[in-house]
Amino acid sequence: MAPLTIPLGHFLSVAAILFTLGVLGIFLNRKNVIVILMSVELMLLAVNLNLVAFSAHLGDMVGQVFAMFVLTVAAAEAAIGLAILVVYFRNRGTVAVEDISLMKG
Amino acid sequence: MLYGLIVFLPLIGAILAGLFGRWLGDRGSHIVTCGLVTASALLSVPAFWFVAIQGNTQIVELFPWIISGELEASWALRVDQLTAVMLVVVTSVSAVVHWYSIGYMHDDPHQPRFFAYLSLFTFAMLALVTADNFIQMFFGWEGVGLCSYLLIGFWYHKPSANAAAIKAFIVNRVGDFGFALGICAVFFVFQSVEFDAVFEAVPRFVDTEIEFLGTHLDTLTVITILLFIGAMGKSAQIGLHTWLPDAMEGPTPVSALIHAATMVTAGVFMVARLSPMFEYAEFTLMLVTIVGALTAIMAATIGLVQNDIKRVIAYSTCSQLGYMFFACGVSAYQAGVFHLFTHAFFKALLFLGAGSVIHAFSGEQDMRRMGGVWRMIPMTYALMWIGSLALGGIPLFAGFYSKDIVLEAAWGAHSGVGQLAFVLGIMAAGLTAFYSWRLLFMTFHGHSRASHEVLHHVHESPPVMIVPLLFLAAGAVFAGMLFAPLFVGDNHGFWGDSIFVLASHTALEEAHHAPLWVKLLPLVVAVTGIGTAYWMYIARPELPARLAEQHRELYRFFLNKWYWDELYDILFVRSARAIGTFFWKKGDEATIDGYGPNGVASRVLDIARRAARLQTGYVYHYAFVMLIGVVAFVTWYLFIVGM
Amino acid sequence: MIEFPDISPAITELWLAIAAMALLLIGVVRGDRATRMVVWLSVGVLAVAIWLVWSDADTSVVTFSGLFVADRFAAFAKVLVLLGSALALVLSLEFLERERLERPEFPVLVVLATLGMMIMIAANDLLSLYVGLELQSLSLYVLAAFNRDSEKSTESGLKYFVLGALASGILLYGATLVYGFTGSTSFTGIAGALAAQEERSIGVLFGLAFVTAGLAFKVAAVPFHMWTPDVYEGAPTPVTAFFSLAPKVAALALFMRVMLGPFGGIADDWVGIIGLLAATSMVLGAFAAIGQTNIKRLMAYSSIGHVGYALMGLAAHSPGGVRGTLVYLTIYLAMNLGAWGVILSMRRTDGKLVENVEDLAGMARTRPFLAAAMAIFMFSLAGVPPLAGFFGKFYVFFAAVDAGLYLLAVIGVLATVVGSYYYLRIVKVMYFDEPAPAFLQPAGATIAVIAVTAIFTLLFFLFPAPFVAEAHLASLALFP
Repeated sequence: MAPLTIPLGHFLSVAAILFTLGVLGIFLNRKNVIVILMSVELMLLAVNLNLVAFSAHLGDMVGQVFAMFVLTVAAAEAAIGLAILVVYFRNRGTVAVEDISLMKG
Repeated sequence: MLYGLIVFLPLIGAILAGLFGRWLGDRGSHIVTCGLVTASALLSVPAFWFVAIQGNTQIVELFPWIISGELEASWALRVDQLTAVMLVVVTSVSAVVHWYSIGYMHDDPHQPRFFAYLSLFTFAMLALVTADNFIQMFFGWEGVGLCSYLLIGFWYHKPSANAAAIKAFIVNRVGDFGFALGICAVFFVFQSVEFDAVFEAVPRFVDTEIEFLGTHLDTLTVITILLFIGAMGKSAQIGLHTWLPDAMEGPTPVSALIHAATMVTAGVFMVARLSPMFEYAEFTLMLVTIVGALTAIMAATIGLVQNDIKRVIAYSTCSQLGYMFFACGVSAYQAGVFHLFTHAFFKALLFLGAGSVIHAFSGEQDMRRMGGVWRMIPMTYALMWIGSLALGGIPLFAGFYSKDIVLEAAWGAHSGVGQLAFVLGIMAAGLTAFYSWRLLFMTFHGHSRASHEVLHHVHESPPVMIVPLLFLAAGAVFAGMLFAPLFVGDNHGFWGDSIFVLASHTALEEAHHAPLWVKLLPLVVAVTGIGTAYWMYIARPELPARLAEQHRELYRFFLNKWYWDELYDILFVRSARAIGTFFWKKGDEATIDGYGPNGVASRVLDIARRAARLQTGYVYHYAFVMLIGVVAFVTWYLFIVGM
Repeated sequence: MIEFPDISPAITELWLAIAAMALLLIGVVRGDRATRMVVWLSVGVLAVAIWLVWSDADTSVVTFSGLFVADRFAAFAKVLVLLGSALALVLSLEFLERERLERPEFPVLVVLATLGMMIMIAANDLLSLYVGLELQSLSLYVLAAFNRDSEKSTESGLKYFVLGALASGILLYGATLVYGFTGSTSFTGIAGALAAQEERSIGVLFGLAFVTAGLAFKVAAVPFHMWTPDVYEGAPTPVTAFFSLAPKVAALALFMRVMLGPFGGIADDWVGIIGLLAATSMVLGAFAAIGQTNIKRLMAYSSIGHVGYALMGLAAHSPGGVRGTLVYLTIYLAMNLGAWGVILSMRRTDGKLVENVEDLAGMARTRPFLAAAMAIFMFSLAGVPPLAGFFGKFYVFFAAVDAGLYLLAVIGVLATVVGSYYYLRIVKVMYFDEPAPAFLQPAGATIAVIAVTAIFTLLFFLFPAPFVAEAHLASLALFP
């Protein structure tokens, strides 16, 4: 039985859809900042998927190494994001996106 | 090294006084700025000796300055005879004014700032006269303009001083625009901004044409006219002169330094410096002559009826600058620069003397409220006499030599415009004598019209103000006698290559062979002017009022300065305002900071508000805008590929 | 066999990394009392770093398997970044002490952010680019929210974080596409692959669009500028000062290296985009600043405008253009530092920091030295000759005209005219309005920074040649 191969295009499509979902999540969501953090993770996942797919397609290890770095940095990013969110919540008592508009003009 | 010191010592003084004035205090700032400028003045004497007498002209490369593609300019000092003369004038008058200011400004709370500006101005002026290329000259040109703006508006809490400063700035912008265009044209045509390279190339461009907006114009004529517009603005020639009288709002020492001796003569200097270009542009030379002659007579007529002592002298300056220009216009640059040289001394003397008078009258500037004090302030009185004698062109005094040679050169040009300049110049000479003595008589003689309060306080100025004046007085007496044979004598060796005159332009040569009546006429006219002034203001003091009554229209015309300001108000200010209201009727009410209705400004404000309203403060809006950006980028690239 | 990489070109970065950890240890052990010491130690660390960079500036080596490059361009930008960080730290000390924010993490975070910027500048691969960028950004997010008891400060940190994360995501997504369609993450590899391709691959262009967008966010060019005014207003003032200095230089240096290095071969495709970024930034910076009353917000719009001018040099994509941008950044750094020094001195006698333009009223009479210095900076920011700002604009305009970008140059000149209005308004407020209560005497270090930058701005016209020559050599490194 021939091995079942999924062509590169499919991976890219899935990644693009994930990425778009992430972006939409950031600016359509008006309720909760936590959702934004999750959307950011979704975008980074799409990026990782892209990297790994390209890596396999090109037969080049750099993509997978890159994905490792992205994973690590994403963890740090999430930690810092949550930390800032906690500080913000302590001051304002809310995490609604619509309330983050003290400064404008 | 010597020349570098002369130029940069005042800058050091300006920086020390400007930045560390608080720590130096008034006294410290005086010592630093006056000391350094005086040192610079003393150094300029040996410089004059080396360069002008011994003929060691040179170009001192200091450092590379602007390098951008084709445009290369280094900061170099071009020290030749013309520069040497200017160095002496600028540094000596500046030093005198610095010393005088110690007395004049003694109760001003911002003295370090004042002295820093003065020294900075001196530096900029020195940078201008030592320029070796157009860029450096433009730099000095802008620098003196900026300092002049700062100094006129020095008493910034006085609204009239502010208005005058802004007016000077704006009128000068018109001139500077011409100058900048001229420099661009020079670079465009000659591919260089170095004087030597340009001057060398000039003969090759005679009778060539450049195309501009479809019309063919003579290259050199276009360039020189643009440059001359710059000179007109800086030297307050007819049309662009309106800022000079208003500039009298600044402190008097400023008027003496900037508006008599140095900055306003920058235009004359520029024309003389660029003589290798102007010589090949006959049409421009004609224009220079006409503009100079018209300014000379126009300013003299206005000076007849002004009542503010400083404004009389300001119009007189304007008129004398006209003389210098028409001298240049008939190719007698030497005579023009000579008049510049002597004028610097006696006009600075008159201004500072007027300052001393104003000081004595507790700040009064209106001559109608002066008079009868010559016994109380004899030194000032004597000094004003010396200044007036020099200005009036009385023999043995400096002005006699220079004004005569200017007028003789105009006669000697044997051209239509030369004759015009000669006739108008003779008339202006008579008027000059008249208003100079009118000033003397109104200020010092007759019954005093000042209040008792003021009269009680009339006092001679302190020595720190009088001693510098004595130096200027010496210049006003001897500068003509001593230097006339050198500057404009039969032997033309003095100027070397610094001034270039075509062999066919022989005005100065002819001037030496002028008939006796040409030589005597200015003197006769001047004496007549003095006599008339005596008759009208001492013998028959009621006469002027009656005369004014009889010729009311003429009197008004002169008194209102030929209605120049009103003309400009109608032509530019009001019509601009009318157009503005027409286009932006709605925006008219929106004013910014009370700066008057200004259509464009309110439009700008509208856009500003709209731009600020985009900034909603919501994160999702910001993200959305970013996304629009990304989509725009992607579209752009796909479009490129599609192409 | 795995070869150990040559670490000597990265000695500055290693020094900063080790020093930052040591400083953190000192801070942890000695507590908040040590803030003053840690700040000065950090300034010392950065000064040593400047010396390290400068003593080995004249090299051109690639190390860490092509991830890291050290050349003259990097050296020039690094010196600017280190200077900006060090002087911003000097300015911040007084603020930290007066506002009871004495925490030693502050200088450590600044040093870490600086390390990130150094890596960005030295990046020669999409991977090192990403790591450097994130190290810088994560430190900056925390710095923006540093005053954790202030609503404004935390909000600005949160906003910056959310939008910054979005931008990073966009940048990364673009990077993966570039990697996939050229087969390499190294700048040299990408350039080679693009040169070999007969036809432009749509995938690469897609990726380039995303990368450009991500970088444009970091330099705050329109339309990726929206975070700037809010973050600048909300962040503690010394942090805002820091934001407007070193990160701008680093991001622009990175922008130039990415556009001219790997994508230099397809410059014709992106010149229009950069030109558009430059034009919109200049125009928006000029207009939106006019109505501002908060001086920090005003400076934010001002910095957007200045990024526009700096990008003009990139749009020219010539050595002259890069040189113009580098000179521009040098001058921008000096005059902005000084201006922020003055803004940080706007402290009333009751110890409260004020930040409205009106608060400057009549400062010429109450604090003449500060007012004079501020006037110099404002005139210079407006580009009035003969101050330094004029020369900065002169070089980029010249480069743009040289490259045939006439329209861009004209837009730039018009934006300068509009922009000068709000700079001059500040001068007007300081000199002609009725005086507001006087400010406290600023600290000696602040005065020193203001004085030095003012003298630099004032006297730049006397000696532009050494800076221009150095920038010229640096720019040549990008055009082998």
